[in-house]
Amino acid sequence: MVSININGVECRYGSIKILENVNLSVTAGDFVGILGPNGSGKTTLLKSVSRTLKPSKGAILLNERDIYTLKNIDVAKQMAVVPQDNTISFSFTALEVVLMGRNPHMERFQMETERDVAIARRVMNLTNTWHLASRSVNELSGGERQRVIIARALAQEPKVLLLDEPLTYLDIINQLEIMDLIKSLCVSEGIIVMAVVHDLNLAARYCNHALLLKSGKVFAAGPIDTVLTSENIKSVFKVEAIVKKNPVTDSLYVIPLSPPKTSVPRNCSIHVVSGAGTGTVLMKTLLEEGYNVTAGVLNVLDTDFETAEFLNIPVISEAPFSPISEKSCRANLDLMSKAGFLVITSVPFGYGNLPNLEDALEAVKRGVQTYVIEEEPIASRDFTDGKATALMEELKKQGAVFIKHASELPALVNANHDLMELRKNGHKEIPGHTKKVAKEIVQPSCHKEPS
Amino acid sequence: MSEDEVKGNFSKRSSRWKIILAALVVALIITIIASLDIGFASQTPANMKLAIPQISFIQILYILGKQIPFVGNKINVSAVFTKPGDLASAQNIIMLIRLPRILAAALVGAGLAAAGVIYQGVFRNPMADSYLLGVSAGASLGYAVAILYISSALTIAGLGISQAFAFIFALLTVFLALLIARSGTRIPVVNLLLTGLVLNIFFLALFSLLEIRAGKALGEIVAFTLGSFSSIVWTHVWVVFPFVIVGIALTFFFTRDLNMFSMGDETAQHLGVNTERVRIFLLVIASLMTAAAVAISGVIGFVGLIIPHMTRLAIGPDHRILLPTSAVVGAMFMVICDAVVRVATGASELPVGVITALVGTPVFFYLLKRRKTSYSL
Repeated sequence: MVSININGVECRYGSIKILENVNLSVTAGDFVGILGPNGSGKTTLLKSVSRTLKPSKGAILLNERDIYTLKNIDVAKQMAVVPQDNTISFSFTALEVVLMGRNPHMERFQMETERDVAIARRVMNLTNTWHLASRSVNELSGGERQRVIIARALAQEPKVLLLDEPLTYLDIINQLEIMDLIKSLCVSEGIIVMAVVHDLNLAARYCNHALLLKSGKVFAAGPIDTVLTSENIKSVFKVEAIVKKNPVTDSLYVIPLSPPKTSVPRNCSIHVVSGAGTGTVLMKTLLEEGYNVTAGVLNVLDTDFETAEFLNIPVISEAPFSPISEKSCRANLDLMSKAGFLVITSVPFGYGNLPNLEDALEAVKRGVQTYVIEEEPIASRDFTDGKATALMEELKKQGAVFIKHASELPALVNANHDLMELRKNGHKEIPGHTKKVAKEIVQPSCHKEPS
Repeated sequence: MSEDEVKGNFSKRSSRWKIILAALVVALIITIIASLDIGFASQTPANMKLAIPQISFIQILYILGKQIPFVGNKINVSAVFTKPGDLASAQNIIMLIRLPRILAAALVGAGLAAAGVIYQGVFRNPMADSYLLGVSAGASLGYAVAILYISSALTIAGLGISQAFAFIFALLTVFLALLIARSGTRIPVVNLLLTGLVLNIFFLALFSLLEIRAGKALGEIVAFTLGSFSSIVWTHVWVVFPFVIVGIALTFFFTRDLNMFSMGDETAQHLGVNTERVRIFLLVIASLMTAAAVAISGVIGFVGLIIPHMTRLAIGPDHRILLPTSAVVGAMFMVICDAVVRVATGASELPVGVITALVGTPVFFYLLKRRKTSYSL
């Protein structure tokens, strides 16, 4: 049974400390993902394990023996490395390159035997490269060459396989095939795999352990489920991410969200009436534009409800699959009336959420500027025997602005908001840009002058 | 291509290599014997002041045959000569002038080409050559120093003082390069390349200074930088012989390691090669071979560059076959170039380096243009 122990390793490039006090113990059959942002020391850790960068402190033990006291050839019999950079200087054929993996097992003057060729053939079939055997590696595509290099590592028949970004050049099917292959070797032959992986989803899917590095220190280590949490991802990668269990692969999956734009907060709130995911993007966009966003009424479990929860948006909610109650209705109208703008997305209307439209009509009457997004004609999403359509007509009469697409909304709202701000501050001169937008987009519609 | 075909081709490779090598060795021997028949004695006797008889090919074979131990006694050389005087002078020409000269050319060519294989392999760059670490500049400087400042009557180990100095200076340059490029216990390849480059320029500058001061000896010094086999004697052959033969033999131990080097330094290490030690060992061997070759023949360019490169194109990059074939092809190339020199311009011989440059430059440019990928350090 093979084992690797990393004991208090510290690595330096000159005087710069790259790794500090890294501890990890790996046993046969472990697939360890080394995770972390650029410059966090992942490759350095792999280099020090692969015997190319001696740690300035601490030790790396392969089967309880310090790897730096072993001979290259003895390490090579047990450990194979797939490097990040795989330029090959001369035009060796793919088969010749894979056979080089047999080098540690050959005597000095021995030529490759039938057995060596058979092993090369087996690993080349596994990596789907046997058909490239007599081609020059330098004429292969990046992905083909990468698979040849992986085959070379497998030809070493290693007990430990170290991979530095092994999937860089591979397309999606090859990524999955290679990872499936490595995973199966890991499980069936009990080899240790340590891989630097940038794709957190691939790590989640294949690794059973993970080491999360942040500026050269271990931020978290252990079973993948405990390491890959949205809190850890946020503090290490500075990215908001949703981490969930995928029902199909039964592994975690990570959805990173774009880093929030840091915009100037606008002292203005927008209430969004949506549902079934029609408001998800809008809520995020409006938040990024600096508005205080509120939402409602939304049923718990609705996609938009989950988005609102995730984005910390105040939301009036109703129990799952229930019609909107009197109480929620009033609370919703309350929020609408306080808002600077009201937005109604292109959501279907049934008897359950019809009260939202009634509230909206009341809000318009109270003077709230209202935008109705009509990506689908109301007739096609009216499930209330025409009641919703009638309410829409009424909204239009009362001065709600109808727009064709949600993406037009932010510019429109911004222009209107800027106009209001300028007037409020007593500006007579309105900057050309704002004037133009206000004129072209805002003026033609019959909206009320802001008071 | 089917699986069995690939596998079949591969298992036949070993025997194919043996055939290629054997064929090249035979070709080399034929080239050597044929070139024995080339020279003033047979080609242009009218130009020569001494009346030297023509030597026929049959006569050469008889003279050579006589040298073979045991069998030689049974060969009656005088049977193929009409006059006894002709026999004596023919024997002198072949055995004392042409044969050592041709063998020296073969050894120098083999040594430079083998060294070129090592340099290109270690530096993972087919544009590297045997003079990469400043051997040529060091040797030239040593030669010039000896010619200008030391009595020419001295000899060291069978070499003239200037040749000995060339050898010593060449080695000193390489060791200086290794020493300066060293960083801790390692010698980074890029450091070594740049150090070699700068030392080359520096020693050439010193050499140029000596050229300016050379006066009457200028011609002799400049001739060294172009190379020549015109004053070769047997001693030179015996001096260069062990360096080249032992050097190639030792390198052969590490040809598979050279293959691993092509994968990059770190990968070579991961495949079990002790890269630091093997690299230094091979560089020292290559430098010894080059220094010995340069000492007896002067600086002959391009052989260490184009021969390994062309051979690689013809038989592939595997160093286990590349090293011996390059050595044989290098020997053959040099023997032919020297033969061209001997007949091309009459009694005032061209330096052999001019011929190798005339052939080598266009070949090099051709190779540069047809390469598919850019070479990394």
